[in-house]
Amino acid sequence: MGTTLLEALNVRVVGSGEKFLVLAHGFGTDQSTWQRILPFFTQNYSVILYDLVCAGSVNPDYFDFRRYTTLDAYVDDLLNILDALRVDRCAYVGHSVSAMIGLLASIRRPELFSKLILIGASPRFLNDKDYHGGFERPDIENVFAAMEANYEAWVNGFAPLAVGADVPAAVREFSRTLFNMRPDITLFVSRTVFNSDLRGILGLVKVPCCIIQTAKDVSVPASVAEYLKTHLGGRSTVEILRTEGHLPHLSAPALLAQVIRRALSR
Amino acid sequence: MPTPVSLARQCLTDEAARALDDAVAVARRRSHTQTTSLHLVSALLALPSSILRDACARARNSPCSSRLQFRALELCVGVSLDRLPSSKTLDEPPISNSLMAAIKRSQANQRRHPDNFHLQQIHCNQQPASVLKVEPKHFILSILDDPIVSRVFGDAGFRSCDIKLAIIHPPVMQASKFSRTRCPPIFLCNLTGLDPGRPGLSFPFSGPQDGEENCRRIGEALVKRNGKGKNLLLLGACAGDALNRFIECVNTDGGGILPSEIAGLSVISIENEIIEFVSGGNDREKMGFKFEELRQKLEQCSGPGMVLSVGELRALVDENVSSDALSYLVSKLTGLLEGFRDKLWLMGAAAIYETYSKILGQFPAIERDWDLHLLPITSSKSPIDCFGSKSSLMGSFVPFGGFFSTPSDLKYPLRNVNQSITRCHLCTAKYEQEVAALLKMGSTVSVADQYSENLPSWLQMAQLDKGKGLDAAKTKNDGTTLNTRILGLQKKWNDICQRLHHAQPFSKFDIPQDRSQASIAEGFQYVADRKESSSSSCSRDSSLNENPCANLSLGVLVDLQNVFPKKHSIPITVASEAENVNYQSKLLKEASKSQQKEKDSPWFTHFTLPHMSLPADHTSSSSVTSVTTDLGLGILYASSSQETNTPKLCDRGEHFQQFSGFNTFEFGVGESTSRQILQSSCSNPSSGGHFDSRDYKSIRKALIEKVGWQEDAICSISQAITRCKAGYGRRRGSTARGDIWLSFIGPDKVGKKRIASTLAEIIFGSQENLVSVDLSFHGGVRPSNSVFECQEFNDYDVKFRGKTIVDYIAMELSKKPHSVVFLENVEKADCLAQTSLSQAVRTGKFPDSHGREISINNMIFVTTSTIAMGNIKFQPQKEPIKLSEENILRAKSWQMRMLTEPVAECASLSSEMNVKISRKVTSSASFENKRKLDGITKSAEEEFSYEAKKRAHKVLGSSLDLNLPVEETEDNTNSGSCDSDSISENSTWLENFIEQVDEKVLFKSFDFDALCEKIGRKISVQVQRAFGSEILLEIDDEVMMQITAASWLCTRSRAMEDWIESVLGRGCSEARQKYHSNAQYVVKLVSCKGLLVDERAPGICLPSRINL
Repeated sequence: MGTTLLEALNVRVVGSGEKFLVLAHGFGTDQSTWQRILPFFTQNYSVILYDLVCAGSVNPDYFDFRRYTTLDAYVDDLLNILDALRVDRCAYVGHSVSAMIGLLASIRRPELFSKLILIGASPRFLNDKDYHGGFERPDIENVFAAMEANYEAWVNGFAPLAVGADVPAAVREFSRTLFNMRPDITLFVSRTVFNSDLRGILGLVKVPCCIIQTAKDVSVPASVAEYLKTHLGGRSTVEILRTEGHLPHLSAPALLAQVIRRALSR
Repeated sequence: MPTPVSLARQCLTDEAARALDDAVAVARRRSHTQTTSLHLVSALLALPSSILRDACARARNSPCSSRLQFRALELCVGVSLDRLPSSKTLDEPPISNSLMAAIKRSQANQRRHPDNFHLQQIHCNQQPASVLKVEPKHFILSILDDPIVSRVFGDAGFRSCDIKLAIIHPPVMQASKFSRTRCPPIFLCNLTGLDPGRPGLSFPFSGPQDGEENCRRIGEALVKRNGKGKNLLLLGACAGDALNRFIECVNTDGGGILPSEIAGLSVISIENEIIEFVSGGNDREKMGFKFEELRQKLEQCSGPGMVLSVGELRALVDENVSSDALSYLVSKLTGLLEGFRDKLWLMGAAAIYETYSKILGQFPAIERDWDLHLLPITSSKSPIDCFGSKSSLMGSFVPFGGFFSTPSDLKYPLRNVNQSITRCHLCTAKYEQEVAALLKMGSTVSVADQYSENLPSWLQMAQLDKGKGLDAAKTKNDGTTLNTRILGLQKKWNDICQRLHHAQPFSKFDIPQDRSQASIAEGFQYVADRKESSSSSCSRDSSLNENPCANLSLGVLVDLQNVFPKKHSIPITVASEAENVNYQSKLLKEASKSQQKEKDSPWFTHFTLPHMSLPADHTSSSSVTSVTTDLGLGILYASSSQETNTPKLCDRGEHFQQFSGFNTFEFGVGESTSRQILQSSCSNPSSGGHFDSRDYKSIRKALIEKVGWQEDAICSISQAITRCKAGYGRRRGSTARGDIWLSFIGPDKVGKKRIASTLAEIIFGSQENLVSVDLSFHGGVRPSNSVFECQEFNDYDVKFRGKTIVDYIAMELSKKPHSVVFLENVEKADCLAQTSLSQAVRTGKFPDSHGREISINNMIFVTTSTIAMGNIKFQPQKEPIKLSEENILRAKSWQMRMLTEPVAECASLSSEMNVKISRKVTSSASFENKRKLDGITKSAEEEFSYEAKKRAHKVLGSSLDLNLPVEETEDNTNSGSCDSDSISENSTWLENFIEQVDEKVLFKSFDFDALCEKIGRKISVQVQRAFGSEILLEIDDEVMMQITAASWLCTRSRAMEDWIESVLGRGCSEARQKYHSNAQYVVKLVSCKGLLVDERAPGICLPSRINL
């Protein structure tokens, strides 16, 4: 059939630099979410863009409900993409769920990643004893119920909340990509994400990380960034962006680009 | 609009046309208004040996007999047909849109893939029907894409993708199982060369039947690590659970979950023994015995081997575990491992990595001896577990929105396919009992075998009733009423079950096939979207193009959804769905087009008429054209407003408008020439009246009036502008460039800005024609609450949100085509802005981030930079400056306060002036204020808390010490060091850039000390007038900076004097009245930190009154 992974996940390599930079989008978006960040890096990097299999831009038939039950399947995809492109070392920028994927990938193949930049990352979204992840299990169940009941209404309510800052363009963009996802996949993926718990394995991450967190993020409390910093196995830094929302690459692209650049140069 | 049958027949081969005729006959017999895909399916099934029937037979995978399932399918089709609206009998019910769409789809498919088949057909269906005749095979494949059809098949327990595969693959490949794992677009396997038979990787539904992903992974890891590092340590918050689950699975399931290589593996957990050993007894004998037992077991073990689980390692690092016991345990385990290297797998779990590293710290040797491989476990439970009622999602999902006639119907029939799955066995049993009771009441049918998993319950009912020999109509009625009741019961028991038994046993996970059909329909839309965006030339800005389409499609779909239930007819559902695609793409074009226009031309309203009359075809012209069109109009507008009293121009303008209204395409092309005419006339000396090549002196005069202290700079600016306007500027080809580029280098932010705005006034008529952007804005932290902020626009921040700086500039440029563009801190421009600026200075067109170019003809670009570049050197300072510009720029705009204190000993009246600038004052006086004000300013402070934290010490440190050299600004830690690598990049860019501008203008630094002294003198006079000559006024240095800054900033020449006379004078006299006493005292003027100036004095950024 010739349907390879690279085609299926719309992998693109943009830019002319020698070093590789992976931009991995988060839940509810697709690679187009980086378009405002991308121009800042095409001069100095070969930027690898791809869609997670759950993204609306990927043929939903590829989403195998059996396979993508944990994040490891997504990690497989990422590593396979990098191998197919013959990347031997790259910097990785991951947003939200992709930040988790990046962490897991770097545990498996530490030599592949020179640096992880984690935007809006959280090892665990649910609260626990001694841990504040920002969500309680019943809240999540309510969210899922709402998602099931009326996906469109949920998207329209969730998008502004996630974007946070008052940026209509960003809300529109996020709503678009979110609505592009098939509702059952959305629900399935969010369950996967909320069931994931990376706290125990953070110590295995030896790659230097830069945690970028916005001042106010509905999905990730500020304490999580500190938690990550203290528990990650490698050298890690925290950058607080002076903007709001879970999607700084949509709401404050120039600001975020500066920070990423700075983080990459360190 | 339904298609006549004859037309549809033309697209089909004879064989396929015969099938269509049959379908038409079915529709006619049932008096339906249209012939749909369902009719076709019905007709195809009626034939004893059709492709479809054959395929169904091969694709069948349910345990019940084929005859039964075919009967079910026929019933399902029949019932679905019953729901279609009927009317008076037509001779030839025309072909419904959905069926016609399917025909066209199959045509396209056949054309593209004569032999090949892709599971998903995302082809444009807009191709005109041509002579290509569709073969039955492709025809049926397309029909199976139809959501209604696949829905019906799903109800009967078929998967339409299975059927499709069966159709594609000739009957030779009987092993349907084989074909299923190999033929669909296999995902990872192609690429990585992994074993395609590996469980969980092959495409649809052939993985292990339960969702125990973790167990599967553990099993795989055991195999993979067979040689090296085979002993596993599961790591993660849920690792313990996963380990227990794995043990349970292997022991109960007989290892069905394990890969075949190690099937038959057994697991033994010694977790409890270990816990007992280390925590309580420390009973070596017992432990030794246990290990002996294990050793024997291993020796006898004949299979692939044994997994020894040590359980959660946390127990071992507990504080009260004696290291003695632990080392005993470790040595025993090590011994065991060495003895049975190829038979024994060790397995443990740790919730957090720290546990493991702690043990490793105590026994560094185990890393090698135990040969542990860490396996991250990140998922607590499979999302499938929580996913029982997922099919109800489809209730909100569009393609099915109109399928069922009532809302309750809408949900349940969709659910019931999976419904039995979600209940636990207990509840299922109870539910069955109740159903039985109900059925006994309704009819006397026995329900012993009523519960068969693969058939939906209403269908079972229908079957049962049929067994009783009732006629078809009755079947349906009974079925429906009973069905409703049964569904009610089902729901009830589901609810109970969900409430009581939270953990539902996961038995079967069935994705109804219609969902993937839905996705195909969806895919259609996406493709339309994407095509649209890529065809337009600004495809990079897909947000621009796609946003309206997302919204639009929502709107359209919702509308359709609303429409369906009323009509509740299937053909309409399908038809409008197919239409949707067309319709949507059409709407899309228009929407994105209009959006573009709006975005590009915010002053668009002035030209509503010509634009609105554009024919829709205009969309086909590229967006670049539309931009230039808009710009052309913009220039027209701007120039005509500027020169309203030039009748000739106005006439031309009107003429122009009409021209554009009628002939858009030519307009796009001819616009450039017309524009040139306009431009030449508007830069004509006679038209403006302000500007003339002889006007060098007048420019100079006007500038010096405003910014008296930068005489040299003004001279060179005036010369440069005069020179360029006279046509001696840089040239592009043979024509002179209309844009002028100046670069202001050096200090004096305010002077530069004022010169720029003055230029805007004298050259373009108004200060409004100034586009002012600070390029360093995104780079670092901006001072808040500063005196300078009140000069800036308050919505500065808002304007930038979600935009790159380049896009903002581009937007402003297109808004104000005749203006001075003032770009501050060009050395801090980000790389996007750098590229755009370089291109603009070279070509005279400013590109935005999407590559659209905006003409900058007739603009004056002023870029400022404080950095001394290469050969450009500042004039050496005559004397060390005392007040630096950085400090002044950082002056805060606080409310001022006057207070009195008894004379301190050191205070003497030795100085000539009775004004003293002190920096100690704040510490004692303002702190109480601050506390008091905390409540008020909290919100304000919170907003800037990040900055405040960083600045906390800086504010104190930035005091005015006249003896120390000026410190470097601390800000550098933030913004300056932004990216060390890019600074060098930036500087080379900057040099290149500055080389290309028309004129480099050097600025002197502003003499703040002189200003400060002058102000001091003025205040002194005022104080003397109020208090008499023996009173000393101590002015906090921050207040002094604030006053200096405000004075530097204010444009009116006497504003400062006025403020001192009125506000400060009034404050002084009030203070004297209030604190009047005989004792000697000093008066202090301090700032109330945290309290913003509430009311400003006219013309100057200082408070309108002074607190006491």
